[in-house]
Amino acid sequence: MIFLKFDRRIFQNFDWTLLALVLGICTVGIINIYSAGYSIGDRPFPLYLKQIQWVFLGMAFMMLIYFIDYRVINEAAYIIYGISIALLVVVFLYGYTTRGSQRWISILGFSFQPAELMKLTVIMALARYFDDYKSNEPYNLKELLIPFLIVILPFLLILKQPDLGTALIIVAVSASIIVFIGVNWKSLAIVGAGALILMPIGWRFLKAYQKERLMTFLNPDNDPLGTGYHIIQSMIAVGSGGIIGKGFLSGSQTQLKFLPEQQTDFVFSVFAEEWGFIGAFVLIIMFMCLIFWGLKIALHSRDLLGTLLSFGITALISWEVFINIGMVLGIVPVVGIPLPFLSYGGSAMIVLMAMIGLLMNVSVRRFILQR
Amino acid sequence: MGRHYSLLNGPEPAEFKRKLKIAIILILSALTILLVRLWYLQVIKADDLKQRSENNSVRFRKIMPLRGLIMDKNRHIVVDNRPSFDVLYMPSRGKEPERVIEKLKNLYKSKSLEFTYDQPFPKNAKPYLPVKLEKNVGMGKIALVETNALDLPGIYIDVAPVRLYLDGESMAPIIGYTGEISKEELEKDEEEYASGDILGKHGIEKYFDTYIRGHQGAELVEVNAYGKEIKNLGRIDPVSGYNVVLTIDAELQKTAWDAFKGMSGAAVALDPRDGSVLAMVSSPSFDPNLFNSGISTEQWRKLVNNPLTPMSNRVISGQYPPGSTYKLIVAAAALEEGIITPDTKFFCDGSFDFGNRTFRCWQKHGHGYISLHRAIVESCDVYFYNVGKLLGVDKIAHYARLFGLGEATGIDLPNEKNGLIPTKQWKLSKMKEPWQPGETISIAIGQGFNLTTPLQLAFAYGAFANGGTLWRPRLVKSIEIADGGVYKEFLPEKKGELPLSPETFDVLSRALWGVVNEPTGTGKAARRPNADVCGKTGTSQVIGLPENEKVRREKKIGVFQRDHALFVCFAPLKNPEIVIAVVAENAGHGGSAAAPIARKILDAYFEGKKKVKQPQIVAQGQESAKARQ
Repeated sequence: MIFLKFDRRIFQNFDWTLLALVLGICTVGIINIYSAGYSIGDRPFPLYLKQIQWVFLGMAFMMLIYFIDYRVINEAAYIIYGISIALLVVVFLYGYTTRGSQRWISILGFSFQPAELMKLTVIMALARYFDDYKSNEPYNLKELLIPFLIVILPFLLILKQPDLGTALIIVAVSASIIVFIGVNWKSLAIVGAGALILMPIGWRFLKAYQKERLMTFLNPDNDPLGTGYHIIQSMIAVGSGGIIGKGFLSGSQTQLKFLPEQQTDFVFSVFAEEWGFIGAFVLIIMFMCLIFWGLKIALHSRDLLGTLLSFGITALISWEVFINIGMVLGIVPVVGIPLPFLSYGGSAMIVLMAMIGLLMNVSVRRFILQR
Repeated sequence: MGRHYSLLNGPEPAEFKRKLKIAIILILSALTILLVRLWYLQVIKADDLKQRSENNSVRFRKIMPLRGLIMDKNRHIVVDNRPSFDVLYMPSRGKEPERVIEKLKNLYKSKSLEFTYDQPFPKNAKPYLPVKLEKNVGMGKIALVETNALDLPGIYIDVAPVRLYLDGESMAPIIGYTGEISKEELEKDEEEYASGDILGKHGIEKYFDTYIRGHQGAELVEVNAYGKEIKNLGRIDPVSGYNVVLTIDAELQKTAWDAFKGMSGAAVALDPRDGSVLAMVSSPSFDPNLFNSGISTEQWRKLVNNPLTPMSNRVISGQYPPGSTYKLIVAAAALEEGIITPDTKFFCDGSFDFGNRTFRCWQKHGHGYISLHRAIVESCDVYFYNVGKLLGVDKIAHYARLFGLGEATGIDLPNEKNGLIPTKQWKLSKMKEPWQPGETISIAIGQGFNLTTPLQLAFAYGAFANGGTLWRPRLVKSIEIADGGVYKEFLPEKKGELPLSPETFDVLSRALWGVVNEPTGTGKAARRPNADVCGKTGTSQVIGLPENEKVRREKKIGVFQRDHALFVCFAPLKNPEIVIAVVAENAGHGGSAAAPIARKILDAYFEGKKKVKQPQIVAQGQESAKARQ
């Protein structure tokens, strides 16, 4: 058994670059949450302290995953997938509701969002499937039936909560993986046409507020007090930061609480207001480095499984970064997707750290696995 | 799909290299779009948006909901809301708070108004969290602040709803009061509450807070540079809390409160048929309206440190030895266990020797040969010393527990106490000492370690009165939506059964009737024509043992060491409708101090019933008169 054999190389070839990038972004995130919560009032246990706690808890998971060979972990991919689905069903049946969505379950006194975990497990299940059925030819529709089921089940459960953002992210990441592994263009065309036909039907299933948000995105000034308010205030915050920003704890938009969800979905506007274009530029570059590093790991992996896992994780981070920042800047509809490592959230942070652990895992085993 | 091959040991897949290149290009272009957009917002449009952020005169404001009303069983409102005008200071709008506050103080002085904000201005005030300077100010101050607004940058008047407790002191122990959320409460539930929220701190206000509280609304308003509203841009209305309908009868409550005339003590009246609380008073009490206008530290300290504990609800958290009212339970135990029959007689010569101690009867000349009926009517202690000795402490405790003593009744109020029913086991584990047989003798007349709350006594007697059902006492009949529809109804809830034989019920209820209605009865003061009141007096000793009785009586003793007077009763004998427990603290004998209070409550109850019947006839008459018109 490879994974139990102690191997010095697991320490020698530790991916310090990846760790440094992630911790760097997390630090920015914590400083930013501190500022976003500064004027909220006296909270006995401020969110930034909680976020620090989540980062450390996440790192524990990260290291745990790091030490077990990802091929061994992936043996259990379907089981983990099954558990995640079960948790989503539990949410559906017993989950508790905050602000109109039923997303949370309580495990040992901790509130947990299984939808976050689902992001990772869908990637693992897809990687497992394509690794089991390797092919030199592009996959055709029949072969894509099981991957389709793997994706559609959590998609529907999460959409029902309702959590449109997470549901869409899961579809986007899965589509990225499937296109990456190679798909018959004819099949792709059929799926695309099918999706186009289903779209008007899907529209009917959206909640009123979700429709409203999508419509408002098209013209925010129509509704400056409702949904448009978020987008406009967010854009004012970002723009008023200028090149050098208003300074730490001095963003008037943030401190006056004009910004909605300023510790979660709209954290980036807090950051951009206080640190300006320069700060935002540096942050985006940091994300870019992280993403490229992830792709490098995918490229250098010794097997298909490693490539798919690291590509999937990197794709997820890329999509989230793009959609979240785009949303804050008013070029993507407000769909409620957190910014990785910056938005406050325990479940999201722990799952992200677990993903990083898996990336490191693939990264280091390049040196261990024999060609 | 059979074309498996392993990439492991194979060449690096060139195809992936190509696809990854495409991915990199896509990601680069996506990030470039973000950066271009950032550049557009933060560099090209920066001045414009900066202007907008500075002029951002839109304020998002929470609107506090109205708390639900609280009504008595006849729908008389006992707790309402009224507006309170507060003087606030917004740090972000002013520069020198100390100077501005000094200015305000001088303005007040010129009109000879008193400035009540006596603390130094908080050093760590958050720029956008207003600091409350004064709560609930009068028109004079409002006018002064409004007319001088330009000279007082940062100071403004805000209006918020506060509670109006119409029945003030008499209801305070039940209703409780409201206040701003404390740090500890905030810590418990961060999702639900925010700092500055108002919530129930005691009593019904606390126990039913989730229903009474309502939901906050919000408002977007455009303000000018001074923070004055110019335009209302949109609003989500707050949702008022649910109304609470009590089982309390406000009239009866008032009578009970007045009956204490400033004496310390507690009284509770229950309906033995379903456990509804008809009246519940605890004296001395406090004025819950004090908390609205910002109670000063000194006032607060006075309330909390008062040795008479005005803030506690004695009915549920005052624990007293039950005294002779306990004899009902001991007698029931003895009859059920077959230790005595109704005809068993003991000889009372005024004292009872046990071991090397002498226990006295309150009647120092003794009762002579005395049967159970007379022993209860005249409250002979020696009779029960004998019975207790034969029963043993654990048997007594067993029956006391059947009567619901020794544990909280489960009433819908916070801070209910359990009381204490001692057993041998209890003493061994709590005090690490074995039970002394002599202690059983004191227990038999409700002294010693025994502790009960007035509510428990009423609860136990109520179960006895209705033929053996323990109904959980309850104060709230229903929760209603603002338009009067029922949101939730609280139905009577059975807590247990009293497994006594019909003979026991019969013998003992006749004895309790005798206590009030026979010439030698100790509870004569509660007698009422045609009401068939049944009851039992009690005197609970605050210090000393029965053997020192004489010495103690003769000594000059302080007010706080005098005996508590107890009286528990129900009426009428057949199908009782009301059960009352009264404790008059440091007032002496139950018959002379507590029974008259119970009598006043009984009077009000039975007179009130007559009155209710009459107006109905009148109302009918009016209606028919209207119909005729």
